[in-house]
Amino acid sequence: MSIRDTLLANVTTSLSGSSVSVSSELPWNSGQRPLYEKNMKHFYLSEASLDITQNQITLDRNDVFQTETQLTAFVSVDAKNQPTDISTVISAVLNSKNSVSDQYIMECNGTTEIVEDRITYQFDYRFVKIN
Amino acid sequence: MGYIAVNEEAEFVKLQIVANGNAYANANVAMAVTTDVMVVPAMQEITLNMTPGTFRWKQLDELSEQVVTTSSTNSLEATIVLDDESFFTGKGATTGIFNVTNNKTEAYFRMYWQGDSTGDRYVEGTGYLTGVAPTVSPDSPVWTSPLTIEISGDLVPGVV
Repeated sequence: MSIRDTLLANVTTSLSGSSVSVSSELPWNSGQRPLYEKNMKHFYLSEASLDITQNQITLDRNDVFQTETQLTAFVSVDAKNQPTDISTVISAVLNSKNSVSDQYIMECNGTTEIVEDRITYQFDYRFVKIN
Repeated sequence: MGYIAVNEEAEFVKLQIVANGNAYANANVAMAVTTDVMVVPAMQEITLNMTPGTFRWKQLDELSEQVVTTSSTNSLEATIVLDDESFFTGKGATTGIFNVTNNKTEAYFRMYWQGDSTGDRYVEGTGYLTGVAPTVSPDSPVWTSPLTIEISGDLVPGVV
């Protein structure tokens, strides 16, 4: 199961019954507007970006490699009238990083941006594992 | 002049150890026991220390000190990424870096400067493995360790 599938499954379970729905679609743009702006109160998760780097460099090319995986999630809600359970939603999304196994770094950072009457929560996931 | 580069596969630095508990006349003889020659893989750095001692004195008829050399202190230091086979299992009767160090077994070593093909240079000698300090952390989750060979007697250069 890919990291994206694992995260989506975890968030789908933890947000069931909340005011935010989970979309399995990628956060692509529709009419030059990203879907998460168009469909507020929906959780969108990007495709994973992968980066393989050297964790330990050796003299005989027995190098140790690591794979870093990054994904970004978005949720937009009405800035004037945020859902009453928004803090629960944010907490559930942040904690979803723990559902991914076999990683030695599991991070999720949340940031916000307000545009017009919308507040967009952006979650940047970062996972690192030894190959 | 020719640089001693080690970036190509045929030029890799190689460290071999024989520590099978037997006493040999010298490292060259020990290295002939090929079934017990263990290659130390995944070295991250290696340093050969050749440090002759010095004795200095002053004379009333000289403006500067005089010096002569005394016995050398020689050692070889490396940092390695731990490999299960070379650290625990070893090769033949050479029982692995952990056991050789723990049992204080005399070790014969040979370090090739730039590959081990015909004509390539090496230095060899006898000593004891010390300074093994395996470490791992959440930010660096692969075991690594320094490794020192405290050399007893002379370093002996050679050519394959």
